[in-house]
Amino acid sequence: MWKTILRRVLLMIPQIIILSLFVFILAKMMPGDPFTGLINPQTSASQIAQIRQEAGLNDPWPVQYFRWVGNALHGNFGLSYQFHKPVIDLISERAVNTLYLAVFSVILTYLISIPLGIWAGRYQGSLIDNSIQFYNFVSISVPSFVWYLLAIALFGFVWHIFPTSGSVSVQASGFIGVTLSRLYHIILPGVLIALMSTAGNIQYLRSGIIDNQLEDYVRTARSKGVPERVVFNKHILRNSLLPIAAFFGNVITGLLGGSVFAETIFSYPGMGKLFIDSVQARDYSVMTALIVMYGFLTLLGNLLSDIIMSIVDPRIRID
Amino acid sequence: MKKATVAGLVTLGSVLAVTLTACGNSNSNSASSSSSTSATKISFPAKMNNTKSSVSGGNLTYGLVMATSFKGIFNEELSTDTGDSTIMQFGAEPLFKTDKNYKIIDGGAANLKLDQKAKTATITINPKAKWSDGQPVVADDVVYAYKILANKETQSQRYTDSLQNIVGLADYHTGKSDQISGIQTPDGGTGKTVVLHFQVMKPGMAYSGNGYYWEAAAPYHYLKDVPFKDLQSSPKIRKNPVFFGPYKLNKLVSGQSTEWVPNEYYYGAKPKLKSITASVVSPNTAPSAIKSHSYDIIGVNNDQYPNVKNTKGVTFIGNKPLSYSYLAFKVGKWDDKKGENVEDKNAKMNDPKLRQAIAYAMNIDQVDQKFYHDLNFRVNTLIPENFTKYYDKSAKGFPYNLKKAEDILDKAGYKKGKDGYRTTPKGKKLTITIASYATNSAKEAAIKNYIQQWKKIGLDVQLLNGRLTEPNSFYDKLQSDSKDIDMYIAGWSLSSEASPNDLYNPKAPFNYGRMNNPEQTKLLADIDSQKAFNDSYRIQAFKKWQEWMNKEAYVVPMTNQWSVSAVNNRVKDYGVGVTDAGGANIGAWADVSVTSNSLQTK
Repeated sequence: MWKTILRRVLLMIPQIIILSLFVFILAKMMPGDPFTGLINPQTSASQIAQIRQEAGLNDPWPVQYFRWVGNALHGNFGLSYQFHKPVIDLISERAVNTLYLAVFSVILTYLISIPLGIWAGRYQGSLIDNSIQFYNFVSISVPSFVWYLLAIALFGFVWHIFPTSGSVSVQASGFIGVTLSRLYHIILPGVLIALMSTAGNIQYLRSGIIDNQLEDYVRTARSKGVPERVVFNKHILRNSLLPIAAFFGNVITGLLGGSVFAETIFSYPGMGKLFIDSVQARDYSVMTALIVMYGFLTLLGNLLSDIIMSIVDPRIRID
Repeated sequence: MKKATVAGLVTLGSVLAVTLTACGNSNSNSASSSSSTSATKISFPAKMNNTKSSVSGGNLTYGLVMATSFKGIFNEELSTDTGDSTIMQFGAEPLFKTDKNYKIIDGGAANLKLDQKAKTATITINPKAKWSDGQPVVADDVVYAYKILANKETQSQRYTDSLQNIVGLADYHTGKSDQISGIQTPDGGTGKTVVLHFQVMKPGMAYSGNGYYWEAAAPYHYLKDVPFKDLQSSPKIRKNPVFFGPYKLNKLVSGQSTEWVPNEYYYGAKPKLKSITASVVSPNTAPSAIKSHSYDIIGVNNDQYPNVKNTKGVTFIGNKPLSYSYLAFKVGKWDDKKGENVEDKNAKMNDPKLRQAIAYAMNIDQVDQKFYHDLNFRVNTLIPENFTKYYDKSAKGFPYNLKKAEDILDKAGYKKGKDGYRTTPKGKKLTITIASYATNSAKEAAIKNYIQQWKKIGLDVQLLNGRLTEPNSFYDKLQSDSKDIDMYIAGWSLSSEASPNDLYNPKAPFNYGRMNNPEQTKLLADIDSQKAFNDSYRIQAFKKWQEWMNKEAYVVPMTNQWSVSAVNNRVKDYGVGVTDAGGANIGAWADVSVTSNSLQTK
């Protein structure tokens, strides 16, 4: 198994290279550059040319690409054009915010979706099942940003219960104060993200339970007189959880991805918002670093998912 | 240095805030003059009228409406972000005080005296002026600002051609010299006097925002140990900046919010608030924030004004910014080798008659009323009315007149064909492509309306690709003189020195229409000539240029728009006029106070 993991990791290298090349070229093809609209009429033409020259934007793109790769290999993703800050610092600053929000919402997602999925599967066709199905239907068919906007309007602006922007209050001080303030800021977006992302899990679990109830081994267990509670927990539930476990690796690595919609609407300065802002500002260095990072995380997530599957399901082997 | 304060708060409509980011050279704030030649139906006061007595220890909340985070470079020489300059305004006061005409007067942290014969400016620092860490403001601080600007290592984007008028600054910039020969400190570095030597004196030098010298200082004692190349990322600028204004930065959440407390060493009046909290507010939620009274001061997006205008407990104040939107015609190309615009006499749009007709056919007043709730208003010249001295009140501009437009075209030989469309005087088919970019929801509809008007006079005008262009592509195409564009609608925000030279002279890369007409060049040069030190001569020169521009119609002035803020009624002495706090004037923030401990909701 270790050999396979090593091989998969090595295989990631060419994949990442191709991805970075692709992203780099596409980014350069976008109209405008980081200085479009920034330089003012008091700047002379030669001054503009010089600023572009110094930023290396006049070099042919292969030169720019290899310079970028060379630096990246040394852990230096360059300076953000718009923030004038090392990209690494910028990303790590935002990654912390996103991580808080993501961990909170992922835990909540499982806390909501697993019990609901079990109920719906076990009491198929009942009123509970129908209600849960209806909730699924609503959460998947109405775009999430509608709920985000509604929630921020009600809980933020009408009732003043939760803050409407930011990740922490500027007035907060001390470790406990800051942590509580952070928590206070992620409750509203976190709960909503969780509520909007349960549908998949519930559905997998529900249909898993329904299907497994008809399996031979369940019938065998029942006919042997195994208590119903044991049949359900040991035989049906464990097998039904497999599809959820199959995505777990991606969920872990996806914690850093950030949600573009939620972060934009709640003005929450996380990775998703950083990404969108960088694209709009043509901040090449941040944009490419982020996409390459996302790409790496996705590959890593797939690998992790496979490893997790082989652990929870002894029938699956990696080799 | 004047800050582009309110500009950060509003969506500039059809105006691209190109110069706003470089706030040292720009100022979008201005007194709202009540005497307006364009018939605006809506009018906003420039200042709060709150006569109650202030409470002590008030906390003011300031909402900065912007879609992204602020960048957090709290240094005037390096910052290029409107968000940063808006956030900094509580602490980063300009060096020089100005009157309502933007003229520099005595009474700020430093006084300025120009000597035309000796070609110098003498800066005398107020002996009481101190940095927020208690150190006095000295000559070295003024000099250091120029070094930060001009040293290549700092990568400042604020170094400009105009500044090179200072003797020796270009040599320092290129590294030929490690001192700036034209900046002298006769009383030594810790003295209070700085003398700037210029190559040429310019008439605009008496006004703030002229760009020939810098209007801020940098704390030399505090920053001298930081190498120039590390300055932008230094915590001394990012986290713990030092200012000499009424407030100082106390706490910071990167990119999101800041808390400011009084600067105990401030040389002016004692600040009246206990703290100011300034936070970023997303444009999506800004209207709700106004309606729910979440902020004392917050900008209003003109698109959203009708939704919030009935909010109780709030006063809407506003000014007419130093900006305008315009329709311009492509008549040439930028020549990189010569570094100037080359006009093509045979270009499709190089006929003043055609351009005038197009201008007269635009029903701007109707569009402003219908689509922009009268917050936009038509302007008649390319000099905003806030430049009271130089603005030509009598200019007619291009009031809507379809018949006149048709007459002009008929006389100029643009004959109508069978399909109802006109051909060129040479009988060729005439199709004109217009381009613009999205800034507000009504813009596309407004342009399609103009296209219909042009159709009425027989001109076949097409919107490039049938829709508005993404802003980056739009400017890319303009700069590279794409053949796709015959005319375009864009906008400018101006510096508080009125000279239009930077935008329209033949060597200006921002002269996107690429006009290069010797007559215009001469008129422009006159505005900044030595004779123009005589103000009545300069006023005449401005008038002649405005007349000529309206006659030739290379660039057609279209609209300006109110810049509106929603201010809670408990706020006292805040305003957005040139001499108010929102105009970033000296000491004005120290006067702002609140008259109640909680925000008013009724």
